[in-house]
Amino acid sequence: MAFFFQELVNGITTGALYALVALGFTMVYGVLQLLNFAHGDLYMVGAYVGFFVIQWFGGPAKLTIPVPLLLVIMFVLAAGLVGGLGVAIERFAYRPLRNAPRIAPLITAIGVSFFLENSALLLFGAQTRIYNTPEFISFSGGIQIGSVSIDAVQILVLVLGLVLMAGLQLLVNRTNLGKQMRAVAADREAAEMLGINVNFTIAATFFIGSALAGIAGVMGGLLFNQVTAMIGFIAGLKAFTAAVVGGIGSIPGAMLGGLLLGVAESFITGYISSTYTNLFVFALLIAVMLVRPTGLLGRAQLQKV
Amino acid sequence: MRRNAIIATAALGALVVAGCSSGGSSSSSGTAATKSCVATIGMEGPLTGPVPFLGQEQLHFAQLAVLKDNLANHTKITLVQGDTQLNPAQATTVTQQFTSNPKIVATVGPAGSQEVIAVGPLMARAGMAFISGSATAVALTTGKYPTFFRTVSKDSVQGPQDANYIVKNLHPKALMIVDDQEAYSTGLVSAMVPVFQSAGIKVDHESVSQKVTDFSSLVAKVTPTTTVVVLPWQVAANAQQFGRNLAQQHKKALIFGTDGLYDPKSFTIGGSYVSTFGPDITAIPADAPIAAAAKAKYGSFGTFGPPTYAATHVIDQAIAAVCKSGQTPSRANVLAAIKKTDEPATILGQPIKFDSHGDVVNGKFFLFKIDSSGKYQLIPSG
Repeated sequence: MAFFFQELVNGITTGALYALVALGFTMVYGVLQLLNFAHGDLYMVGAYVGFFVIQWFGGPAKLTIPVPLLLVIMFVLAAGLVGGLGVAIERFAYRPLRNAPRIAPLITAIGVSFFLENSALLLFGAQTRIYNTPEFISFSGGIQIGSVSIDAVQILVLVLGLVLMAGLQLLVNRTNLGKQMRAVAADREAAEMLGINVNFTIAATFFIGSALAGIAGVMGGLLFNQVTAMIGFIAGLKAFTAAVVGGIGSIPGAMLGGLLLGVAESFITGYISSTYTNLFVFALLIAVMLVRPTGLLGRAQLQKV
Repeated sequence: MRRNAIIATAALGALVVAGCSSGGSSSSSGTAATKSCVATIGMEGPLTGPVPFLGQEQLHFAQLAVLKDNLANHTKITLVQGDTQLNPAQATTVTQQFTSNPKIVATVGPAGSQEVIAVGPLMARAGMAFISGSATAVALTTGKYPTFFRTVSKDSVQGPQDANYIVKNLHPKALMIVDDQEAYSTGLVSAMVPVFQSAGIKVDHESVSQKVTDFSSLVAKVTPTTTVVVLPWQVAANAQQFGRNLAQQHKKALIFGTDGLYDPKSFTIGGSYVSTFGPDITAIPADAPIAAAAKAKYGSFGTFGPPTYAATHVIDQAIAAVCKSGQTPSRANVLAAIKKTDEPATILGQPIKFDSHGDVVNGKFFLFKIDSSGKYQLIPSG
């Protein structure tokens, strides 16, 4: 039973990370019907921001500020900078193509992804950057229930992930900006006719989605310890899968998809074999798609003819 | 910076003197080769991607070897570099560029066994010799790739040697062995598992992609009786994360890694073992000038550079021999000269002579233990 709970904790932690990245994917798709393949690379940029913040404050072994303050700075800076980068990408790469055939922004997104990866290679070098989390956040700061270990970083990722997901739900459902985002997602032209500033709403969506990816990048760095220019590819792929399974365009769907993906990976590794993790996970996902082609919480769109 | 340049120049000067004084034949071959011994060689390595420290070190040592050999042999060999990112597809692209460049007569690399498998047929078709300083899979030297050579030994030597060390010295009742789904790793696992099984050890064989960075689910499977986890991996940072996941879940198993884990900057889990094909050349007195030159020019280094230095040196010497015989270096005559290589003393502290399939005769492996401060200590592997 302890093994079951250990794998559950591991799966939910990884799933929370997938979910945060998937949220940005699904939000952008919701308002623009664009698969933003550069989204995983924003996760990578966030991870680098976190790494450099640690270095600026003396490095993991000799921090010059208290750890809670460091964490706040890491998350706030990653959210702000990556959010801003997301807005810039929207403004300069996607907005000019908003009325172009759908294939054009799709190819542009792939181009932006390569641009970000190679810029990171150029700016930060090819070497793996190590967070060395245990040097400033001790494993002993976690919870031990029987033989189930939940360390401090896992708790941080879980709590922050859940808070952000709940906050996003509130923002989308209870605020004016959320209403505008939903209106633009439902019908951009009608929203514009009703006086909604569509450009601002789309830019705000990109900012929030990208900021979440940036925060997830810092969480990934803290959890997995390593950052390279290429980590965004896998993160993006997993987030895309989570968004599709949950129902692309659906915010609760992205959360559910991310958590399901993380838990499925964890249990398949634990109970079947790590050799076949991707095989079983993707077989399961194909099964979900066959039963519900719009994803678990996605809604079929009616086409008027 | 200026001090480093002076040290590098002094060390290179010492190398040249050493090269010129090592035998009359070298000097005379240099004189004969002076006028027209011009050639280009390729260097394929993972300069970026998951293991850039490895590729950069290999590149630096290849550059150092060319510099030293050009001075000693009076040749004009130039090095063209290609980044494979440890990716067979990327290695194929680089190889196509090299084979379609008529100036390139031989190639150093690639680094990974999976890359050699991908590029072997292309190199054979082009008749181009290629020498890896780190590819160790057994399948590479079974005759399939007639132009392939390596300056390191192979998994069928390393696998049983490491497995026997674990059985005799670490005495596990159960162990986990995890391959990283690449030819290098699966080859070593195939060589180790029979030894463990015949010793009555319960083996849990797992497999994870090199791109995975979260091992918490896998570590949860490490039972209290599992006292050793064998990681024949190429990415040291992944092993570091595996070690952290072990500590996170309060698991006491030791990590025993191979080649790719020799990275004192990235893999520092105290109590772990790393077996590697490259010696610590700073402990070989005859290598002192090379070690000093490398350190002054490129900073600290590990065990990946020296075998690549040896590979480059073999090609350089083959080109010099071709020139000495009055011919212009071509892929065919350089390949023939490489096959005749017989270097009694090399940077690796052992002779280099190839068997008919391109394996170095009597190749060795070396074992290191990481102490509590993260330092690598050479220990007897027998």
